[in-house]
Amino acid sequence: MKPDRQQLQADLLQFVQSRGPRYAAVTPDTDLLDSGLLDSLLLTDLILHLEGLYGIELDSGHVSPANFRTVSAIVDLVREQFAAAPPRPA
Amino acid sequence: MKWPLHDRPIPGRRIPLYNRFYLHAPRASHVDPVMVWGTEIDADALTSFLRERNRGGRVLLTTAHALIRATALALAQFPEMNVRVVGRRVYGFRGVNIRMGFYHRGNREIDLLVVREADAKSLEQIGQEVWQRLLQAGRGTGPRDRDLARLRRVPDLWLRQLLRIYGFLDRHFHLPSVGRLDELRGGGAMVNDLSFAGAPPMRSYKPTRFPDQADSLNLTLGPIESKVVARGDQFASSGVMPLFLRADHRLVDAYQAGRFLAAVRDLLNHPERLDGPAATDAPDRAGKPDS
Repeated sequence: MKPDRQQLQADLLQFVQSRGPRYAAVTPDTDLLDSGLLDSLLLTDLILHLEGLYGIELDSGHVSPANFRTVSAIVDLVREQFAAAPPRPA
Repeated sequence: MKWPLHDRPIPGRRIPLYNRFYLHAPRASHVDPVMVWGTEIDADALTSFLRERNRGGRVLLTTAHALIRATALALAQFPEMNVRVVGRRVYGFRGVNIRMGFYHRGNREIDLLVVREADAKSLEQIGQEVWQRLLQAGRGTGPRDRDLARLRRVPDLWLRQLLRIYGFLDRHFHLPSVGRLDELRGGGAMVNDLSFAGAPPMRSYKPTRFPDQADSLNLTLGPIESKVVARGDQFASSGVMPLFLRADHRLVDAYQAGRFLAAVRDLLNHPERLDGPAATDAPDRAGKPDS
């Protein structure tokens, strides 16, 4: 079953905002790339967090600007993965 | 098994005299061949370029990928920089292979990766390769991660002996690389991107040298800082990033190091050139031995 969009978004926002004061004001539509907030550490952590929590699998082919520009875009990516393939047990 | 170096060393007659002084100096002279040169790059140009490429590209590109590509193109332009010392001899690397330090999320420590033939790869190919390794490391699923886990279990006493033997062989003999752990020896230049979010301004930086002697060069990029710069007869606020080169006077002199650093800086200041082929140059002393 696809995770609820609102719940997924809230979880991701909390994950990102908890990185420190610079991230506290991040909203679902904050451009993480243009603002310079998304570095390789955060991106790796985000992917591992999503894989651990939702049982999806993301590879380097998914690391595109469109998929990680905003929290909202990441939510779309996760939901697409759910639709494309059933998740493995987390 | 891979042979990262050319079969024969560069003849002594092609090595500048002052480099030979450093190369053949006795230990008792406490010679210090390490040179560090710091400069700055135009961060606005690089970030604008990356922002534009990240508008519609397939791979998310970062400053680290640009640094790898710029270093590789500059090494292709100045092959006399793509060399290392073995014993008291200088050997050229067969390929332009770049090491990069990264944070291994799975082990919560620094690890290294190697991008092979980086001068022949596009920014996107480099980006994809780096992301693949970062994710693999985060999951701890790569073959190298299993090797690192085994190495981690080696007691200090044995590790010291292993490093002693490995270091002796690496320093004195022209050897192939035989496994995943020593594949790093194939990379003659190491890059660090320390421009991560929240990094403090960098005034100086002396990159370390890995226990093996392969990484003759190190390029480290620091975080973006706003500075007032002169543009013509106007002053303007501009983003700059510090760039540090560590080089070895047994292999290159300050003139060569400066030319190489200028080439890397030029590529990062004009990042559209990262998409082009390596510039050609007429080096005084190529990394290849005499034919």
